Amino acid sequence: MAKLLDKQRYKCALGAMQTVQAITRAIPILHSGPGCAQKLSDGTGSSGYFSPNIFPCTSINEKDVVFGGTKKLETTIENALKVIDADLYVVLTGCIPEIVGDDTGEVVSRFEDADKPVIYASTAGFKGNNYIGHEQVIDAIIDQYLEKSEEKEKGLVNIWADVPYQDLFWLGNIRELEKLLAEIGLTPNTIFGYNRGIDQINKIPKAEFNLLVSPWVSVGNMKKMEKKLGLPWLHLPTLPIGAFETSKFLREVSKFAGVDEEKVESVIDGHENYYYYLIERYADLFLENRVINKQFSVVADAQYALGITKFLANDLGLVPAKQFIVDDTPKQYREAIAEEFKKLNFNLQADVIFETDSYKIHEQIKEHDYHGYPLILGSYYEKELTESLKGNYLNIAWPVQDKVVLDDFYAGYTGGIRLIEDIYTVAVQRFN
Amino acid sequence: MSYKIAVASSDGQQIDESFGSAKRFIIYEVTDGIYRRLEERAFCEEGTDNNDVSVVDGCNSSVSCKNEGGCGSGTGGGCGGAGEASAKVDLVSDCRCIVCKKIGFHIQKQLERKAISAFDVSVSVEEALEKISHYFTRMDNHESLRVQK
Repeated sequence: MAKLLDKQRYKCALGAMQTVQAITRAIPILHSGPGCAQKLSDGTGSSGYFSPNIFPCTSINEKDVVFGGTKKLETTIENALKVIDADLYVVLTGCIPEIVGDDTGEVVSRFEDADKPVIYASTAGFKGNNYIGHEQVIDAIIDQYLEKSEEKEKGLVNIWADVPYQDLFWLGNIRELEKLLAEIGLTPNTIFGYNRGIDQINKIPKAEFNLLVSPWVSVGNMKKMEKKLGLPWLHLPTLPIGAFETSKFLREVSKFAGVDEEKVESVIDGHENYYYYLIERYADLFLENRVINKQFSVVADAQYALGITKFLANDLGLVPAKQFIVDDTPKQYREAIAEEFKKLNFNLQADVIFETDSYKIHEQIKEHDYHGYPLILGSYYEKELTESLKGNYLNIAWPVQDKVVLDDFYAGYTGGIRLIEDIYTVAVQRFN
Repeated sequence: MSYKIAVASSDGQQIDESFGSAKRFIIYEVTDGIYRRLEERAFCEEGTDNNDVSVVDGCNSSVSCKNEGGCGSGTGGGCGGAGEASAKVDLVSDCRCIVCKKIGFHIQKQLERKAISAFDVSVSVEEALEKISHYFTRMDNHESLRVQK
């Protein structure tokens, strides 16, 4: 029987056009029906030099379904190269051309000699969601563009985190991670956001190693780069939010990179001193409000569910109720991720549920006894539910409707403070 | 279930005529996915015979144009663009789709209104019929078009 999915929290793999868009001066060329980009380009922050409304698209119709759309694809790429001044052209296929069997790879290979690189990723919706699509775009860059480099740049580290645009705080987070690495003397390299584009992509093979900060997204990409480019990689599943995880993060990175321990400890000290100075000053607020939120649930993708759960338990001493991971995490990663939720301070453990159906998630939240008002950090779908439970609610995951984020972030020491500010702003508004 | 396909071809081999300039359509009937040639339908609008008259008396006067229903190009309502369905559309209105080399936007819209698909392709008649009948068969039986690689 057909399965209905209530309020899913991701898009189809073609949503990876946003991954391409996040690379400055890279443009997706869509081999899809008209309207795909329109539907996938949600939210704010996607206008600019290239925006979804001007992405070249083959706009395939019935004729292309019957006779194949490769000819149209060829002319679309050809003309995109003529009229759009970009550094990287990434052809993305939607469901229809994949179903009817258009050989996109063959068409794209005709542009091998073009002045600008043209690569492709088969991002058909039935192959997975936009988290998978994101991996496919990075795979395409590795497979079709990058070459192994003998020359290495000392201290250069590629940082990879979660999916641009899908992750509300992608830009701020990745910049904060860059900043932290720079402070311990490493040279960070990332490919997304302002001032990051083809030059940074070209630098990838010269790095000493890849740093992946994500529970599962891009694990496949790291393995591919290890094989093709000979890049070792360090996998840190938890997005560091707040002092506890960030200090741990810095120690692990520096150990892997062979950074002088004394230097790292002095960086950590500097940050922690300031961090706890702030916590101390507001300790009364936290204590007074403790009574309103004894337990919390995070409803988000694996990255935020894990990162925030650790932060709220380890740094704020809140008690986790059930946590929900909604990104349709591939089965092979689930056990390891669930294991991470057991590694909390104060002997705390969190139950984690992998569920994509919002109805089922909401039923479980309603059934759970939070011993008072719940604190729910989730997507916009949780707003009404939390209101009905008289709980405190914060929108931290896609879809986002009641929050505008330009370059705010939750990663690092500062990010932890930002998250505290956001949570307690909600808490105090309740009484004022 | 059977349906008809109208093909614009001058020699019966290649799809080589545009919808507007085609003087005749070859009609194929497809039954259970197998196609056979049914008939030919010639397009003999008055305008074709009285082409000169039509140009002189018709196109210079919009009233006359409306009366004659065409300015010779066979698009019907030639002066008015997307007006009422042209005689040529009526000629193939019992077909499920038409196949021709090129087709204008307005005519395509007129066909769409009658739920007739238009395929503008430059292939052999055989290839077109094979592909179209395969497509419709799959659609009618709710089967996937997915190509197994």
